Amino acid sequence: MPWEFAIPDALARETQIAASRAAFPPMDSEAFAGFYERSSRPLWAYLVRASGDPPLAEDLMQESYVRFLCAAHAPSLAAEGEVAARLYLFRIATNLLRDHWRRPRAASIDEIPEEFFAVPGTEAQSDSRAVLGPALKQMKARERQLLWLAHAEGYSHRDIAVVMGLAAPSIRLLLFRARRKIAKLLRVQDARGGRVL
Amino acid sequence: MTLNSAMLRSCPREKEVSDLVERGQWPQACAPELRDHVSTCRACADLALVAGAFQRARTETIAAAQAGSAKLGSAGALWWRAQLRRRNAAVESIGRPLVSAQIFALVVNLIVAIGFVGIEARHGVAWLNWLQQLPQAASLHLESLRPTGLLDSGWSPMVLIPVAATLALLAGLAVYLAAERQ
Repeated sequence: MPWEFAIPDALARETQIAASRAAFPPMDSEAFAGFYERSSRPLWAYLVRASGDPPLAEDLMQESYVRFLCAAHAPSLAAEGEVAARLYLFRIATNLLRDHWRRPRAASIDEIPEEFFAVPGTEAQSDSRAVLGPALKQMKARERQLLWLAHAEGYSHRDIAVVMGLAAPSIRLLLFRARRKIAKLLRVQDARGGRVL
Repeated sequence: MTLNSAMLRSCPREKEVSDLVERGQWPQACAPELRDHVSTCRACADLALVAGAFQRARTETIAAAQAGSAKLGSAGALWWRAQLRRRNAAVESIGRPLVSAQIFALVVNLIVAIGFVGIEARHGVAWLNWLQQLPQAASLHLESLRPTGLLDSGWSPMVLIPVAATLALLAGLAVYLAAERQ
């Protein structure tokens, strides 16, 4: 029996992806410019809220795009679509964030001042600063990422598992716990005299 | 029933709440019946509260980026950086076999040199006689420079040709690498 029959699904999927990539030309600079225009701000928002450090978010965002363009297995916009490309991009950014936090010289997330969790902006943008900033500060890095991907980006559990490199079945429980924790924090904050949620 | 499974009992109306929040219709454009349900269901209440806060935060953060508070850089610059990195990676991948070839040539050279020294040690270092005779030559004559002892003492073409070929190969490799770096 040929060895290919041992893993038919994996091979079929690989073949399908290879065929679809071969049918479409690689991304050119104009296609990339369009993709960048549509995806850079959501990616920056994710990075800045997850890291709490706007300059770091800018650096990691740029590095994410460069790695996306250099990656041999990055999804093609034409073949696999923008959703797959975005997921791949968010995955790169998540890995870069993780690498940054793992570096021994990096400041602990607990040491980051509270004001970093607020995004600089106008008065009209003070709502999320006042409401979410202090609560996010008390969450773990992974919880912030999970919550942002689920509730700000609207990704499914399966997509979050892909982005974060976690097992899909564990996402539901992790997300449930994180949501309960931040909801409690938001309510406590509200009870202490914050704004009405 | 374990604690996890008890905690994970999700409400069947979570999807409805989630969709309303995502569309920005919560709580104004929501049926009063669903609003009543959310006020009594903790899972739905948490979801509405958290999803609403995150949706607002996303909108405001993106608006802040559009207002110019983020230095996002241009797509063209990133494209150029990626091209440069790709090119460097390609050059590096081409250079790797060349370094391997260089190491291989060095090893071959060393083996030849060790073998030669071994043979010379066994037969006596006859070519040293030629070096000793050189200052004694009274006049500078081409004949006096001819290493007569050299060919007579084991420096056969069988040895000289491979050594010369290896040296030529190494020299060529060195010139190529120097040109590539420039």
